[in-house]
Amino acid sequence: MKKVLLTVLALVFITGIGNVTAASRDYISIVGSSTVYPFATVVAEKFGKSTSYKTPKIESTGSGGGHKLFGAGVGVQHPDITNSSRRIKKSELEKNMQNGVKEVVEVKIGYDGIVIANSKKAPIFKLTRKDVFMALAANVPNPDGSETFVANPYKTWKDVNPSLPNIAIEVLGPPPTSGTRDAFVEMAMEGGGKKFEMISALEKSDGKKYTEICHTIREDGAYIEAGENDNLIVQKLDANANALGIFGFSFLDQNTDKLQGSFVDDVQPTFDAIADGSYPVSRPLFFYVKKAHVDQIPGIREFLAEFTSEQAWGDEGYLTDKGLIPMPAAERKKYKDAVKNLVPLKLSDL
Amino acid sequence: MQTEKNASVSRTSVDAASGNPAVAGKHRKPHLVDRENRATVGEINVPNPKMQCRDVSVFYDYGEKEAIRKVSLDIGQNEVIAMIGPSGCGKSTFIRCLNRMNDTIDGCVVKGRITLDEINIYDKSIDVVPLRAQVGMVFQKPNPFPKSIYDNIAYGPKIHGLVQNKSETDDLVESSLKRAGLWNEVKDRLDQPGTSLSGGQQQRLCIARTIAVDPEVILMDEPCSALDPIATAIIEDLIDELRQEYSIAIVTHSMQQASRVSQRTAFFHLGDLIEVGPTEQIFLNPLHQLTHDYITGRFG
Amino acid sequence: MSKRDTSRTMNIVRKGMGRRYRAEKRFKRIGLVAIIFSLSCLATLFISIIGNGHTAFLQTVVKMDIYLDPAEFDPESLNRADYQGTIKKALRTMFPQVTSRGDKKKLYAMISTGATFQLMDVIKQTPDLIGTTISLWVPADDDVDMFMKGYIRRDVEETDRRLNDLQISWIDALAHDGRIKKRFNTTFFTSGDSREPELAGIWGATCGSFYTLLITLLLSFPVGVAAAVYLEEFAPKNRFTDLIEVNINNLAAVPSIVFGLLGLAVFLNLFGLPRSSPLVGGLVLTLMTLPTIIIASRAALKSVPPSVREAALSVGASKTQMVSHHVLPLALPGMLTGTIIGMAQALGETAPLLMIGMVAFIVDIPGGLQDPSTVLPVQIFLWADSPERAFLEKTSAAIMVLLAFLVTMNAVAVFLRKKFERRW
Repeated sequence: MKKVLLTVLALVFITGIGNVTAASRDYISIVGSSTVYPFATVVAEKFGKSTSYKTPKIESTGSGGGHKLFGAGVGVQHPDITNSSRRIKKSELEKNMQNGVKEVVEVKIGYDGIVIANSKKAPIFKLTRKDVFMALAANVPNPDGSETFVANPYKTWKDVNPSLPNIAIEVLGPPPTSGTRDAFVEMAMEGGGKKFEMISALEKSDGKKYTEICHTIREDGAYIEAGENDNLIVQKLDANANALGIFGFSFLDQNTDKLQGSFVDDVQPTFDAIADGSYPVSRPLFFYVKKAHVDQIPGIREFLAEFTSEQAWGDEGYLTDKGLIPMPAAERKKYKDAVKNLVPLKLSDL
Repeated sequence: MQTEKNASVSRTSVDAASGNPAVAGKHRKPHLVDRENRATVGEINVPNPKMQCRDVSVFYDYGEKEAIRKVSLDIGQNEVIAMIGPSGCGKSTFIRCLNRMNDTIDGCVVKGRITLDEINIYDKSIDVVPLRAQVGMVFQKPNPFPKSIYDNIAYGPKIHGLVQNKSETDDLVESSLKRAGLWNEVKDRLDQPGTSLSGGQQQRLCIARTIAVDPEVILMDEPCSALDPIATAIIEDLIDELRQEYSIAIVTHSMQQASRVSQRTAFFHLGDLIEVGPTEQIFLNPLHQLTHDYITGRFG
Repeated sequence: MSKRDTSRTMNIVRKGMGRRYRAEKRFKRIGLVAIIFSLSCLATLFISIIGNGHTAFLQTVVKMDIYLDPAEFDPESLNRADYQGTIKKALRTMFPQVTSRGDKKKLYAMISTGATFQLMDVIKQTPDLIGTTISLWVPADDDVDMFMKGYIRRDVEETDRRLNDLQISWIDALAHDGRIKKRFNTTFFTSGDSREPELAGIWGATCGSFYTLLITLLLSFPVGVAAAVYLEEFAPKNRFTDLIEVNINNLAAVPSIVFGLLGLAVFLNLFGLPRSSPLVGGLVLTLMTLPTIIIASRAALKSVPPSVREAALSVGASKTQMVSHHVLPLALPGMLTGTIIGMAQALGETAPLLMIGMVAFIVDIPGGLQDPSTVLPVQIFLWADSPERAFLEKTSAAIMVLLAFLVTMNAVAVFLRKKFERRW
């Protein structure tokens, strides 16, 4: 019994350590954003099943975590591709270059809308971004008209805007670690804050203060951090007709029988409205490829070709079935060419 | 230590005061050694001893607690020596020194000199494993291994390499069980667990296990205290037989047992060896007042 | 005098009896309520999981008659044939009335993309079929599946359903012809993860869990037992060993994510072991379970009665012989229990695996210790976070599989314990 155990143990170690020295990888390793994850995985699965290559491995690490892993260096132990629900930051690209990741190809894959939705059992909300800002910001301009900021005094939607229903403000949304939260804050909150003259004036005079005002969400219980799991928000909304939730469009798309997307600036979050850009709270999605890995890891070129094919990201492609909003044809062509020629991103592009 | 001593003395007098017709003072014979005298009375030496203990002191808790104090005693060839005394007097501690069983207790310190065939068993060069094969031990509670009867006996000889093959082992198991008087009772069920036997049988199994490794001295720590009178009688007969081949040191609470099985008796009291001498003399004509009090049932 | 005294005493005792019995009854009742409460919690959990998950064990399949056009399928280059087109063509033949582009798209959406791969497998296995018409049960799309299982309701307004009236009428037509049915979902137990709920399976994660736990068991049991035996039986009792003991006890309480960070720093960055592999996962979980096993093993060793040790020593066994021949066999059942508890803990762990890249989308079934893989709880976590409604039932079904695993492990533990205990 003991001998068998020892032998097995030894074998495990020999196979374990032995293979490591061989240091190669025959599958593509992808990390990054949880928003891009549902799209990247579909492409990866399709790619794995229809070619002789192995299915790429995709980790959902968040955009920031993805860039960190991706930019750690060149070599099989580092990922080949990182997904990002925002554009790479200049600081991240600089860091990559310091670590030897000199050439990074940027690929925009489409758009994702962020929706504010509630249960179908309740009336639909018609919000403006200004309403969103006033309802959710930690500090808002003083309602008495003086040039000061006060802690958010609004308790009900009616306080925010008399045309809204008289129910308490209760919004379920993602935590600060989430890319969805970043994008929401940037587009909806900042967009709404700018409508106030004194805030838009701040943008020029005191950039730091401006960002602080626009990007800080109130913490007095009106905004409830519901975790990274968007399904959880969907379920909670279904149970609580008075609450609103913030999440990605694909979750609304899958739950149209239970939820309705609120109007934002008179536009409802529909596939078409996001695609033509009229819905204001939408963001581009990207992935980044390490050029140095392209001919080292088998299949990267073919994977890129699959991802950028019309049958994947085109207007009628299978990614749209999963809720991705496609780019206009011209933009698609631009990125397809960039991928074909592997044009690296320059610091000056950002 | 001092207070304890006083307490025991006063307890004796309380006994005397509480309606005991034999008042301590009256019974005090003038020729007996006084209670306060803690030095050993009687002849500690025997001609041609098997083991010799000189000034053996044992401390527990890293020297904090003194269990026995400067005990000197010889154990002769082929004799049974009984250790008697009230609870906590140190008799068990003393015999556990003789095979260095106290080594297993953390914080136990043994001082003095104990020799086996004139070799100091506490010397640094002494290996304790063969020593324990030479000085076997039987415990108060029968503790057969949770294995078969056969394996219980065969285990010791096997680890020491005393038997080379199955038939030798079979023979040794049979002879050991026969010498322990257990063979007829268990010969048909050697593969059954040792723990399935009755208490008396288990204790005999433990004795058989001890003699299977062919020791020179056998230590017995109250071997019959958990047994009924019939089982006790069988074991006592067995001890008498074993005396032909081994030196035996036995701790017992029963003075009758001591008088029945032993040739010499040592009386311990509160860590001191009070008196030692031929069993007959200890029980009929003790020299020390404490011994006298103990054997007449005045305390203990 | 004495007689009266006795009766008075008895009176007092009797007077008190009622109170004492009431106290006993009350205590019993509290215990009963506690048990009923915990049982009902457990029942609620099981009912909700089984209620949500049992449908995942069935899968909706559609029977299609597919003509394998010899012009399309060249036996020399089967990889390049247009399987998807063939499936679409077959669908059009089944519903010739569908003509508009939009409706066609709706029609194609009713069959899973898995049909394409199924067809490919069939043809590759028996190329002789080319030129004939075969009928094949292919998986339906997850929306159709949800409709068949009653999660998408007819009475909801058309715009609010994921299937429109036309699609539902097609389903009705298929049902009328007996071309649609629910059958046991073997895919769920044989395939890896997928983004299509109807193709997603638990087998990949199960294999990953198996390899990971294998490494954990092979490393943590011997190491843990050896450490416990040394500390309990051989190590001198001094400050240094006290320090070690305190540290082991502390480690048992360290949040598991810390072990993940340690694994990332040591196994991945320092030793360069492959990311996302069961090897690293097993190593990290070994670190996590070791304290549990050491503590349980030490408790088991401590509980071995000293009489057994004395017996062994008195016949001249060395310390090692005493431990390995007598103490260890008696302590083994306790050690096994501790190990199984540790293993069960490891089986349910996701946090440390996040750090070493095992929270990942992995389709291919891991074939060894080096292959990227994920584990059961991670699979549950990933599915719970997927937008498609059909993943909800998969999540519950995966939880059921995980629970079944745990029950099996515990049963094995009980069995082993009984077996070893029978050796007296």
